[in-house]
Amino acid sequence: MKEIEENGGESSSRRNFLKKVGIGVGAVSLAGIAGTSVIAGNKSKSGEKVKLLSADGKLVEVDKDDIKPAREIVAELKSEARKGLKGRKFVMVIDLAKCKNARKCVEACQEGHMLPKDHEWMKLYLLQDDHTTARYWFPRPCFHCDKPMCVSVCPVGATFKRDDGIVLIDNQRCIGCKFCMTGCPYSVRVFNWKDPGVKLPPGHVYDPETNIPPVEGTVGKCIFCADKLRNNELPRCVSACPMGVLYFGDLLEDTVTNGNETVRFSKLMTDRAGYRFREDLGTLPSVYYLPPTERSFTVESGLEGNDESVTGRYKNAGPR
Amino acid sequence: MPTEKQLLQDLTPEIEKTGIRWYITFSVFFLIFCVGIYALIQQIDKGHIVTGMRDNVVWGLYIVNFIFFMGLSYAGALISGVLHLFHTGWRKPVIRLAELITVISLVIGPFFIFFCIGRLDRLPFLIMYPRIQSPITWDVIAISTDLVGCFLFLYLSLIEDFAILRDYDDLNVSPWKKKLYKVLSLGYSGTEKEKKILTNARNVMAAMIIAIAIIVYSVLAWIFGVTLQPGWHSTIFGPYFVIAAVFSGTGLLIILMWIYRKIYHLEEYITKRHFVNVGVLLTIIAAFYGYFTFSDYLTKWYGSIKMDSMLIDKLFHDYYALFIFANYIGILLPCIIIAFPKFRTIRNITVAAVIAVTALWVNRYIIVIPTLETPFLPIQDTRPDWIRYSPTWIEWSLTLAGISVYGMLFMLVSKIAPIISISEMKEVDKTEIMK
Amino acid sequence: MKRKISLTLLLLLLLSLNSLFSFSQEKLKISPYIQLQYFKDNDENSFLKTTLTYSRNRMELPLPGMKIIFYSGPEKKARLAEIVTDDKGVAIYNLNHKSDFLVNKSGLWPFGSVFNGNDTIESGISELLIRDANLIMTLTVIDSIKTIGLNAKKMEKGKEIPVSGEKVTLYVPRMFSLLPIGEATLDESGSASVEFPATLPGDKEGNITIIARFEENAEFGNVEKKSTLKWGLPSTYSVPAGHRALWTKTAPRWMIYTLSVLLAGVWGHYLFALISLIRIRIAAKKKAKEEYRV
Repeated sequence: MKEIEENGGESSSRRNFLKKVGIGVGAVSLAGIAGTSVIAGNKSKSGEKVKLLSADGKLVEVDKDDIKPAREIVAELKSEARKGLKGRKFVMVIDLAKCKNARKCVEACQEGHMLPKDHEWMKLYLLQDDHTTARYWFPRPCFHCDKPMCVSVCPVGATFKRDDGIVLIDNQRCIGCKFCMTGCPYSVRVFNWKDPGVKLPPGHVYDPETNIPPVEGTVGKCIFCADKLRNNELPRCVSACPMGVLYFGDLLEDTVTNGNETVRFSKLMTDRAGYRFREDLGTLPSVYYLPPTERSFTVESGLEGNDESVTGRYKNAGPR
Repeated sequence: MPTEKQLLQDLTPEIEKTGIRWYITFSVFFLIFCVGIYALIQQIDKGHIVTGMRDNVVWGLYIVNFIFFMGLSYAGALISGVLHLFHTGWRKPVIRLAELITVISLVIGPFFIFFCIGRLDRLPFLIMYPRIQSPITWDVIAISTDLVGCFLFLYLSLIEDFAILRDYDDLNVSPWKKKLYKVLSLGYSGTEKEKKILTNARNVMAAMIIAIAIIVYSVLAWIFGVTLQPGWHSTIFGPYFVIAAVFSGTGLLIILMWIYRKIYHLEEYITKRHFVNVGVLLTIIAAFYGYFTFSDYLTKWYGSIKMDSMLIDKLFHDYYALFIFANYIGILLPCIIIAFPKFRTIRNITVAAVIAVTALWVNRYIIVIPTLETPFLPIQDTRPDWIRYSPTWIEWSLTLAGISVYGMLFMLVSKIAPIISISEMKEVDKTEIMK
Repeated sequence: MKRKISLTLLLLLLLSLNSLFSFSQEKLKISPYIQLQYFKDNDENSFLKTTLTYSRNRMELPLPGMKIIFYSGPEKKARLAEIVTDDKGVAIYNLNHKSDFLVNKSGLWPFGSVFNGNDTIESGISELLIRDANLIMTLTVIDSIKTIGLNAKKMEKGKEIPVSGEKVTLYVPRMFSLLPIGEATLDESGSASVEFPATLPGDKEGNITIIARFEENAEFGNVEKKSTLKWGLPSTYSVPAGHRALWTKTAPRWMIYTLSVLLAGVWGHYLFALISLIRIRIAAKKKAKEEYRV
């Protein structure tokens, strides 16, 4: 069986392990008993073995102690999801001076979370505050606010804020009342109006940190790729951006990186005059923006290379 | 004083016989209801994509109807509750109607919320995992409390009537109805002691109803008021919604008074005086309502805050006709009709009430939808149904189904309980109402 | 004569066609990018890393499952190992603490990694010439300024001489990447000193790890020295346990109290009404009993 990687803490290694076996290797179903998945652990074994049929048709012998019902695994994953990563506070910095609507962030996010094409958790706006001021491309993920209006108004606690700053959604708890969508002033959340028609990967176990697949009648939004953070990997949009627009990091380490450059967050803020969108609304977002100064390209170049369903959106873009 | 005998002669025929007209009307309502059920099945089957709601306008006709129907329940709170405590005599013939409006509205209203919820199979989560910081949880608690309270209040006022019907030997109804009266009247026999207990309970409940009604409607208003959305984030939303609810409830009361008076030939009991009195009530409340509306929009319009200006802009361009109807015509016309004695006829007052109630529905619409169409970050999309909200046939059919269920419930109740409270009328000086 | 000319022409045609074919066949083969790197870490443990990738649509994609052969010595005299690339296209050969590699004429260690190619991918080779260097990092506080002292030495012709003019970069490892905190060029005596930033956060206790590196040095490859000490500012962030707000799991106390009082008040009155109903029933029953008796 696979080794457990040391990943900064017992809980996260155990969790990684749960997920690796749950998702990667494939769920193993006990012949005759439906809905059980296998996790192999480092616990002392009773020695009693059970023969199981794996998802890809192989006969596997597993210690009886290691078999857990999928229900229990999901419950464990959910309670871990509510706790978050210890001692971290995640922030994102978006450099508006470099964004030219390449939309690789949007595509990477949709692919990574099995989203239908019209769901955009990361959305690109073309903004212009006034007809006398500059136009700029504005990538907008979820801001993971420190005073989240969406969490305050949820009647069943389906959306929650963790100690590491990330706001997640439990799609098995959400009743689809959409109050959170009216509560969020940044139009971050999307709703699954119809069956997304997504096939589950084999052996899939539900986990709010990956939030796959989208569930009909519930709400979805950017989750800062909480599953990747467990493996010390950057969120998908950050890795995908060809211009290095998105920086991500731990505020407590005072460091953000876009995959190529790593800089001190405080320095970036003071040198480039970082700010938060609509600070006056007081939701205390975790996403900071760097003003679009000294761009080496035109804003219009962002309209090229996209099809009509994208460029048509920005026809009326302008000051409101 | 109308004798009990006279009252029973006038009011029981409706309980005893059912004419062909009743059956036809009921069938029409039922048909509309069935269309609504079909629409609901479509929605559950294909998902909410069949409605007009999309990612920005996530609350549409269903929420508008929800607020509207909950608002109608105010008729009971005002007429039964407030006027009961003030011991006003003239309102006695219309108490029963008011209480029925209250209860039936409270029963139908929550169904519209259910239509709006994406995962109906998870409805119990509202009770299993409630978060009391959420205005929706406040709403769930408040509405269930209100429902129980109003049922109790209605029942308390029906006990005496059931006792009278139980003791009326000439009552020509089927045996199960007679049994029903016997059980529901709890053996009440009108002794001093029993009467005292009943009166005390009714007084207490009347006071409770008023308090609960205000709380319920304020909580409903705060579902909108606590968000940051322009147009919703208004400090006067609580009182504003309460006033609007009283307005709509009173309007509906006049309409139902007219309908029942016509159908059951109750011209002796529900007279022009009642229409005028309730009409005057309507006018006073319309004035308050107009004041609140004006105050809300004036402060939005005068200030320079961009989000408010954008909303006002949208109201005066895209929603111009609806805005004028709801906030000008809907307020001024009823006031004019009732304020001038020349115009005060029963028919005119009823027309004024119809205008008022419709205007209030439209007012709810222009509170909910234009705000959602002007979010902080602009809607940049190519699909027209994602930019502007337009309700689909499913939402309209369910709206009409709600109204038809309203009608059906009223028709069914009128077969069991007298529409005018016999017990109350017994003590009224007939000359008082004939004035 | 005519026949000869036509024969030569035919031959030429066939040859050109043949070369055309082979040319087009070669065109289908992927041209890989192979890079060999030498690493020496904090415990003086060294390893060779080969990365095999190819580019498509301006993106660099890995070539996993390919056999890489590591060599050392001039003209690839010693075959070290054959390693298969992993899913990131990386093959690593651990040299452990060996230092007795074959040297070339200038006293450098030649290393090479070869990919022999296959039907779809061309072959590739990457070579390095490495000299062993010793990097020393000393962390001291001078005049209450945290200073990182660096010194490097190399072996040349049997003598240990200082390394001068080479760049050393300093990093602090963070969650996703390494944060650069400074760099220095070694002087003639092979030394340099860099000031450590005073306000850099460490972990909860203030522990921080500092890495000094020769990075892709032409002569030394990658040499690293690492140390952990309490030079960072203790990072203080914790949501106070039991914090109650609108967005936390437990509501603020005043909300719970207010709600309870209101509910108790209202439902208490309902209870009163219910009891009244029961009392009416009891009173009526009593009366009926009395009447019956009479």
